[in-house]
Amino acid sequence: MMELRKTLAGRIALTAVATVILLFLALPIVVILVTSFSSNAFSAFPPEVWTLNWYKALFADGSKWPAALSLSALVAALSTVFSLIIGVTAATALVRSELPLRSAVFALVLGPLLIPQIVTALGLFLLFEPAAMLGSPIAIALGHTVLASPIAVLILIATLRGIDERLEDAAASMGAGRLTIARKITFPLAAPGMIAAAIFSFITSFDEFYISQFLSSVDTVTLPVQVYNSLTFEIDPSVTAVSAILIAFAILALGLVALVRWLGSGRQQSLLSVENTVGVANPGGDAV
Amino acid sequence: MAATLTAGAPGRPRKLLASRRTRVGILYALPVVVYLLVLFVYPIFSTLLLSLKNADGSLTLHWYADALTGVNLSVLFTTLRISAETAVLSLVFGFVLAQAISRLKPLWAGLAMLVVVVPHFVSALVRTYGWIILLGDKGLVNETLTAMSVPGTPYQLLYNELGVVIGTTSMMLPYTVLLLYGVMRGVDRRLLAAASSMGAGRVTIFRRIYLPLVAPGLASAGLLSFILSLGYYITPALMGGPNQTMIATLINQQVTKENQWNGAAAQGVILLVLTLAGLLLVKLVSSLGASRKKRSAS
Repeated sequence: MMELRKTLAGRIALTAVATVILLFLALPIVVILVTSFSSNAFSAFPPEVWTLNWYKALFADGSKWPAALSLSALVAALSTVFSLIIGVTAATALVRSELPLRSAVFALVLGPLLIPQIVTALGLFLLFEPAAMLGSPIAIALGHTVLASPIAVLILIATLRGIDERLEDAAASMGAGRLTIARKITFPLAAPGMIAAAIFSFITSFDEFYISQFLSSVDTVTLPVQVYNSLTFEIDPSVTAVSAILIAFAILALGLVALVRWLGSGRQQSLLSVENTVGVANPGGDAV
Repeated sequence: MAATLTAGAPGRPRKLLASRRTRVGILYALPVVVYLLVLFVYPIFSTLLLSLKNADGSLTLHWYADALTGVNLSVLFTTLRISAETAVLSLVFGFVLAQAISRLKPLWAGLAMLVVVVPHFVSALVRTYGWIILLGDKGLVNETLTAMSVPGTPYQLLYNELGVVIGTTSMMLPYTVLLLYGVMRGVDRRLLAAASSMGAGRVTIFRRIYLPLVAPGLASAGLLSFILSLGYYITPALMGGPNQTMIATLINQQVTKENQWNGAAAQGVILLVLTLAGLLLVKLVSSLGASRKKRSAS
């Protein structure tokens, strides 16, 4: 397509360099997945002896991991709920209404994504410390929501923009009330986006480190903080297994988002195609 | 109801509808605005206030003086240096990779993009740990180099600046690749073809046509990775040595170990100001780019 001559040597060089850069991105993840099954958890790649010991050690007596995992899951679930409430209302306001100061509201929403997380975490620490709320799962979840809700808002804005408003107008013209329209038209069409927003909010909270570290106490340590601690203070080989589980979890979540998107993509099209066929006013005939 | 109103006065219902839509908008915007004002804006303002307060509550600038002298100043310079190195490297690698991907067939491009995007969603902590395993004295990298009988192995790849920059670059790379890929897809290939048809060589085309077209994108991608690196904590703390202490590490130490909140607050504000200055530059560059694009199109 391009009119420039491509030299073979140039193409090979570009491909080789690109492959190396891709390896640069993928290797840290691959090495953890492999090493987590290795008898030597810290080095020696590829492993000489394969084992499941590190996974078993996670759930051994006295292990700190189950508590950290359940705390992180609880916090992530809470902040997912908060983020979805904020996300749905904010996206509705930004996309489907006349909002004064719209760009200011939008800038406010983007703020937490652009400002260094350590600054946000420090501010939250100064907010919750005097309230004696350090270590409270609610406080950590509220903090994570500051980071997770903007992501939910952005995803839901894209979702709402993608929904054809004529479908809602059509339902209204046939006498459907606002609640019925929301329940029967908007919600089913927005569901894939909402699931995506929920999954991304959950991951954001689940992986969040800065806020968790500032707001945690000795008894409430989230999974990432525990991973950090075992990398710096206490050498715990199980950290490899935990890391591998976190990777698997992230890939699973992304796969789930892709699946939901794929399942949802057919839905609006089928609704719209019905509308178009009606528009042609000759269903079953020789439509264009 | 709507029908009778429309029949009656065409002007009024629109205004009525607009005001209803406005009211609904304000109502729906309330949760996010209130939430972020209380848990994001207010805490940042109290950080700012704390950074200006003495122990007795009087106003002072001495926390800033502290933050900008001695060891703290050198930490600030280290932060700027590592961020700049990271920005340059992730820009160069990102440029090459985005360039390669934009030439691939859709299937391969999709797969390559997957390799770029998936790591981005894996916790930075986990990826940093992966690098620690890879770069150790007996890690894959050194073992491979030894097997290839490269002289001087094992290299010290961890707990120094090289280690930190490798780590942070790999964290920033997904951003630059995605941004640059978008910019490159937006380049009108006909312009290159036109230059070629008029006899311009490859180097001339790249320098005179392609680079000016992607330059604003390059600048904002570089600036963005610079800004994002400024506040980085995990990778420098785990992969660096004492000479790679970054400002975020210092903030963290002062809060969790030394109970020195005022100093931490002042450094947080400095970090914030640097970030905002960077964001302002990004905005400037992108509006510059937009005007240039308009001119080249006309």
